[in-house]
Amino acid sequence: MGVVEDLRRVVGPGFVRTDAALLDAYAQDAYTLAAIRPLAVVWPASADEVAGVVRVLAQHGVPLVARGGGTSLSGGATPVAGGVVVHLSRLNRILRVDPLAGVAEVEPGVVNTWVSRAAATVGLTYRPDPSSQQACTLGGNIAENAGGPHCLRYGVTLNHILMADVVWADGRQSRVGTLSGDAEGLDTLSLLVGSEGTLGIVTRAWVRLEPVAEASATVLAVFGTVDEASETVSDVIAGGIVPAALEMMDNLAVSAVERGQYRVGYPADLGAVLLVEVDGLSEQVEEDAARVQAIAARHGVAHLQRAASAAERTLWWANRKTAFGAMGLISRNYYVQDGVIPRSRLPEALRAIEQVGRQHTIRIANVFHAGDGNLHPLLLYDGRDAGEVERVQVAGHEVLDVCLTLGGTVSGEHGIGVEKRADLARQLTVKEMAFQRAVKDAFDPMALLNPGKIFL
Amino acid sequence: MEQVDTSACVHCGLCLPSCPTYLVTGDESESPRGRVVLLNQLWGALAVGGPGDPGAARAVDSCLDCRACEEVCPAHVPVGHAVEAFRARAVQAGHRRHPLAARQAARYFGTERGLRRFQRLAQWAQRPAGRAVLRASARLGGTAGATSHLGAGLPEPVGRRLGREGVRFGGEGPSVALFYGCVMDSVYQTTAAHAADLLRLSGYRVISAPQQVCCGALHTHAGDPGQAQAWARQNVAGFAAAGAERVAVTAAGCGAALKEYEHLLEDDLDREPVRQFQQTVRDVAELVALGPRPPLPARLQVATVHDACHLAHAQGIRQEVRDLLRWAGYQLLDMPDADVCCGSAGLYNLTHPAMASALQRRKVKTIPEAADVVATSNPGCLLQIQAGLRYAGRTTSAVHWVDLVWQAARDAGAL
Repeated sequence: MGVVEDLRRVVGPGFVRTDAALLDAYAQDAYTLAAIRPLAVVWPASADEVAGVVRVLAQHGVPLVARGGGTSLSGGATPVAGGVVVHLSRLNRILRVDPLAGVAEVEPGVVNTWVSRAAATVGLTYRPDPSSQQACTLGGNIAENAGGPHCLRYGVTLNHILMADVVWADGRQSRVGTLSGDAEGLDTLSLLVGSEGTLGIVTRAWVRLEPVAEASATVLAVFGTVDEASETVSDVIAGGIVPAALEMMDNLAVSAVERGQYRVGYPADLGAVLLVEVDGLSEQVEEDAARVQAIAARHGVAHLQRAASAAERTLWWANRKTAFGAMGLISRNYYVQDGVIPRSRLPEALRAIEQVGRQHTIRIANVFHAGDGNLHPLLLYDGRDAGEVERVQVAGHEVLDVCLTLGGTVSGEHGIGVEKRADLARQLTVKEMAFQRAVKDAFDPMALLNPGKIFL
Repeated sequence: MEQVDTSACVHCGLCLPSCPTYLVTGDESESPRGRVVLLNQLWGALAVGGPGDPGAARAVDSCLDCRACEEVCPAHVPVGHAVEAFRARAVQAGHRRHPLAARQAARYFGTERGLRRFQRLAQWAQRPAGRAVLRASARLGGTAGATSHLGAGLPEPVGRRLGREGVRFGGEGPSVALFYGCVMDSVYQTTAAHAADLLRLSGYRVISAPQQVCCGALHTHAGDPGQAQAWARQNVAGFAAAGAERVAVTAAGCGAALKEYEHLLEDDLDREPVRQFQQTVRDVAELVALGPRPPLPARLQVATVHDACHLAHAQGIRQEVRDLLRWAGYQLLDMPDADVCCGSAGLYNLTHPAMASALQRRKVKTIPEAADVVATSNPGCLLQIQAGLRYAGRTTSAVHWVDLVWQAARDAGAL
């Protein structure tokens, strides 16, 4: 029996497909520098079906990648050559929202904002808010240990996952973590979160819901230069303020997003804009907001504004969060980097990155989480120009070199995927890499789960 | 038809959960992002004279043209237009025919006589014998399927006159002419008159524009822009002749089509009259929302709003309908995913009955049990949702918001 027939017996004939058009639609995620047509796409409808699919693939020695919303920016869901895409889009139920325990029980195909929306009905919130939150799924969030603007104060996905049901590489299932949040013995759950689908497939997750802050203030600060904005960021952090979010966009990024769906009306000649959100108890929020505004004023802010309504705040955030997608309005393609630098080195990092762009004649827009030093230089290129595709990749790796030289890392939240494998090997020592590989081998000795990611 | 430029798509995927077909299938190839990939392939095939991969064509064709993806796309990639252009070109190149349903619809829409024929069909569909025949033949698709929905989707017996015949003209203020719309005119016969009354209340002088014809939306969606263009030119001339300063529309699908006439007629030599016409077009909600609102008493009836795709996604109108219903005294309940397509989508429920039913069931499930009425703004949605409610054994009815607001104003003596 062929692998496809065996898969059909597990999930039903309609839920395994191999037609060419379909496979082409699955050849990429949001990372477009790699495209691989998979062998087949499978849509399991339950944890048992996922386990059955994995068992069949293990028997046949066929590798797989689990896919959620397909919004990975590092090729986390790029198909494996000769492998199968296990699309978890049918596992898309929110099974329970428990307001007393502050827990939501969800399937992996549930979209991030669906959880926030369900939580909001009981006055709670799910904190991690990747900018792709309107489309990315919890399964993918767990695989990539997704971040987002508000992770500055509230932590990344890892800090919000309590427990998970997992299908392992041999098709066995087990539950890791506990609802109380303690690990039982070695903390397998923490190992799993952020493993980019290389250790197991989460089929159900229990996520932490938290009360909405009593008050919040969102301040928009427009500067004439990137340096003034960077120095403001450094001083806010140095001043001991921990904003809920602290985001920066530069002129080129703003020029794209202002042509997009959500226009704030930024001045066309700005150097950079900071979006600062502080939250907590009312009095503290007032104090923090005043301090942030004073610091910005000290650095020559050109325009300061506090969101006057929830609608205004929502617009500002929608503008920020659709920035990547809006790049299509000023460039055919973009390649986003995700390096992290110590926050005190922000001005020099941005200058060095600008230099990289000039050297390779690649336009670079910056939209990033300034508060935690997680850069997102967007390298603009035209995918039809082979020379430019080559240059943009070289420039991308040089941007990461800048981060490493300044004492940073190559990835803040987008994952290593297929994209940053070489860069990770530069960041870590040989020993560290060997250790990570040993972990992978222990969980997945046949290299069936998303092989070709993370490790070269 | 030229290929519509989708190169601004950077494959970010933010559109996926907005797409009704993706929500039902979970299949990337039936998502906007997947369709952009497939459209590029299909145009490539057309360029060398081939029909392209049939699977790709099927996946592209299952697009409802609901425009939800265009609304959430950071780069507003026009996926709906791109699909329409492909359908038209594939027909031109002889690789496909217009769906049977589209060809049959052309027999009804476009002339007053046709509308009366359509009306008789609807009346027949409401009779027990008609229903039985239609149920049996619905599987064959075509008009039978449509009429079967008509039978189940109409809350009240269809009368013998067209909606336009009940309109009272006159009033004070800027002139406004109603665009009647084929299905609204033939089977929702009171709405035009009610809209006219509300417009007069809002400070408009309602005038007659008898030379209007079908807006052509169904033909554009089905890949027959030629017929749509011919009608569009007639409408532009007809409303100019009537001297209408505003054109008010009760059907969201018509409104969206009329507001895109410049795009439809972009190859015409004299585009100025088209531009002028397009600027006069408003949904009735836009006009009434700006008018004076005498206080109206609270009502016991509980309403929930279904956002018609071509009102919400294509025209960006959501709040006005809710504000007006609240003004009219209705208790409003939120419907989750109120702006996800109900599956009607023009002729879609005829060409893709399985997907249309899946979306219909999904929609009915999200309608709050406590709602007495579902208010919406498009005849297709009204039929589809009413039929779905009936199939589910619910007593809730689907009503055009104009009729609801009119009733409230009438009861309070404001009209």
